[in-house]
Amino acid sequence: MSLQDAAIAANRFGLGARPGDLAVIAADPRGWLKAQLTPETSPPAPIATLPTTAAALRTYSTWRESLGRAGSETQGRQMQGRGVGMQMGAGRMNAAGSVEASYARAFFPDYQAAVAARIKAATTTDRPYFERLVRFWGNHFTVSASKPAAIGLCPLFERDVCRSHAVGGFRDLLLASSKHPGMLVYLDNYLSIGPSSAAAKNPGLLPALVRARLTGLNENYGREVLELHTMGVRSGYTQADVTSLAKIMTGWTVHYGGGLFDHPGQGGADAAPEFRFAALAHEPGPQTVLGKVYAEDGLAQGEAALSDIAAHPATSTHIATKLVRHFVADDPPPAAVERIARVFRDTGGNLQAVSVALVDLPEAWAPAPAKMKPPEDYLVSAIRAMRGPQLSGQQFVAILDRMGQRPYYAKDPNGWPDVEKDWIGPDALWKRVEWADAVGKAVGNSVFDPSLLAEQVLGPDVTPATRKAISQAETPAQGLALLLVAPEFQRR
Amino acid sequence: MTPPPSSRWTAPTRRAALAAALAAAAPRIAFAAGPSDKRLVIILLRGAMDGLTAVPAFGDPDYERARGAVATPRPGGGGEAALDLNGFFGLAPQLKSLHDRYGRGELVVFHAIASPYRDRSHFDGQNLIENGSDKPFGLADGWANRALQGLPAAARSGRTDLGVALAPALPLMMRGPAPVTSWSPSLLPAPNADFVMRIQAMYQDGDPKLAAALNEAASANAAAGPGGARDPFLALMTAAARFMSEPNGPCLAMVESTGWDTHVNQMGAYGALARNFTALDNGIAALADGLGPRWSDTAVLVVTEFGRTVAMNGTSGTDHGTAGAAFLVGGAVKGGRVIADWPGLKPGALHAGRDLKPTADLRSVMKAALRDHLGIEGAHIDRAVFPDSASAPAIEGLFRV
Repeated sequence: MSLQDAAIAANRFGLGARPGDLAVIAADPRGWLKAQLTPETSPPAPIATLPTTAAALRTYSTWRESLGRAGSETQGRQMQGRGVGMQMGAGRMNAAGSVEASYARAFFPDYQAAVAARIKAATTTDRPYFERLVRFWGNHFTVSASKPAAIGLCPLFERDVCRSHAVGGFRDLLLASSKHPGMLVYLDNYLSIGPSSAAAKNPGLLPALVRARLTGLNENYGREVLELHTMGVRSGYTQADVTSLAKIMTGWTVHYGGGLFDHPGQGGADAAPEFRFAALAHEPGPQTVLGKVYAEDGLAQGEAALSDIAAHPATSTHIATKLVRHFVADDPPPAAVERIARVFRDTGGNLQAVSVALVDLPEAWAPAPAKMKPPEDYLVSAIRAMRGPQLSGQQFVAILDRMGQRPYYAKDPNGWPDVEKDWIGPDALWKRVEWADAVGKAVGNSVFDPSLLAEQVLGPDVTPATRKAISQAETPAQGLALLLVAPEFQRR
Repeated sequence: MTPPPSSRWTAPTRRAALAAALAAAAPRIAFAAGPSDKRLVIILLRGAMDGLTAVPAFGDPDYERARGAVATPRPGGGGEAALDLNGFFGLAPQLKSLHDRYGRGELVVFHAIASPYRDRSHFDGQNLIENGSDKPFGLADGWANRALQGLPAAARSGRTDLGVALAPALPLMMRGPAPVTSWSPSLLPAPNADFVMRIQAMYQDGDPKLAAALNEAASANAAAGPGGARDPFLALMTAAARFMSEPNGPCLAMVESTGWDTHVNQMGAYGALARNFTALDNGIAALADGLGPRWSDTAVLVVTEFGRTVAMNGTSGTDHGTAGAAFLVGGAVKGGRVIADWPGLKPGALHAGRDLKPTADLRSVMKAALRDHLGIEGAHIDRAVFPDSASAPAIEGLFRV
């Protein structure tokens, strides 16, 4: 029995304890975590009901066509340009009838529903460590609605790629990410055309959405897959490797059976029906990446290159560093990183074994909370602590937008930052203080005994200073607000 | 290449011209007791601004060929044509108020300029341009904060916060021991003072970092006033003006702008760049308005982590490059000039065969702003702010004295 280890399991590895959780977990905290590392038979109920990827693609395609001359270059540029800076806040939109308003009508309801589903799954799950891993991989392979065309695809990418492979093999996860329309759209690969490909010579062969733009090589995905998804920056690859990989990946594109994304005449069966290898857009010929020559082999050329990169030693170190930083400390202890990297290499990137090894790191069980919770995990843990009500997606978006982490809107392909200094700025803290104050006032004085609640969700982590502040609060409502901004509640 | 017929132009002939400008002038006497009411605003454009669209070199005979469909029409070439600066360089058509300020002698435009970073990762490039060393993660705090540590005593006196970041989290450039704060617009009512005091007491002993952040937030919030304009950059620039208008307000502000990573369809009246340039131009205009008479003591430095490819990529955008453009604008700036040792756009003149070649170092501008505008001693700048910058001396004569 260890209440201290139970608090660490629930808070550091999980999404925060609910009243009653710690007593159950204390019987075997490590066993409780490891038992969560099995694949899901199906996604949690709120997430299972999200649309299919094909439906999301159809929604986008239909919306583009509904604007009139969709596919014409002018119109395409107009939408792209306006979309880039689109401000949605809590979903309030001005200028009814504008492209922005039309975009909001078409996509925000589904977006807000997806946010609500994501938070509901997190606040109600009995497998919070698994859920944290899903979120970790979702952030590692960022697909962000900061690119307007990706908005409907972000939650589906998270469900179909990160959730499906969270405790599977890293190579499979990488390949699934590379073929999902979310990634293909977010990092532009669906627009990337081999300069010597048949389609480059005859743009009439290209999908309407691609033809609307001038076509050629785009190295965005080729670079980020090396820099962010696998080996990590400054790990030995060169600009030539980026360009070669970008050429290898040409032709990997989106298809759903009718509409603007599709290559004319490109049928054929595939496990993922929204993904197509369009040979017409693929750069012919062999390519050299990291010193190895990949013969022209269509889709298999890219699969072979990505498989080799997934197994590169630099990848094991990069992934291990990020995992240890996420679960242990902002400055990952080198010995812990090496241990995780070795498990990654020894098991061929088996993420179940890697996740077990994280639980077995002695460094992860140091009592003092080391990590600052990012805003969404902070909000989720607060709702779990209060066994709180589910708000609407629009309300969740508004709260998290203020705290600096609008869901599925990471600014850059490297995702949300994962170190304290990025979440502890005066303004970021002030937004939590304001929110906690508002929550305290909204919940009122008759629901919780905040001193008891603190012991229930934080266990031995409650400090004397916090205990004193809560016990001396002028009302239970203020005591609850103080608990929500207590250092040990904001950290884990 | 024939120099354009403008007397305001710093000849982009050869390296010698710039080197002379950099090294010229007698050794300066530091402003040990410099004026305490100078203001510096640093705008960091995250994502890598396309310098050749911001400042098209339409006079270069290779310009239209090299840029193809991302070339901006030369002045007089229609509604989306460049605004002329000196017959050789122009400004993007959306940068209207900046163009006016060039005419009034308040804007210096730099071109073919870059940080020391020569790879193409946004995140490394931004880290370097914020940490102030010559490599990503070379230093753990920010150059602007280290500069503030060397602020003359007269400028420090009476100020609680020497700097302010208009951002929800403190950017690396502003991190360090010097007292700085951060602020962004809020919608909820402010918690009452008693609640804040109780939190402070709770943090005091156990969590000094949270305690410090809360103190900063409480005082920043009092200073900012109500915010909430629809254009987020405009809201930040308006707030920056409010902060800096306070008699003892911060003398350095950092404002971030995102969305400059234009891989796809960057051009045209509705392209990402048109929108970004409009927001940038409006934001600077709002800052000038908000500062009122203080504008004459103000300089605004606009920088980005690197430039973009000279040639268009396959998707009507540009990929990560090397050198680009930067702006220095303000009432305190001796402007109306383009400073560029122009390397040209011939294939053989490009960096790595694809990017505009860097012929000047951004740190030369940053160092000049710190020394000649904020009055920070050159020795402190060389030692503590930009420790690896011996190759990048401060440019002389950028400010009205």
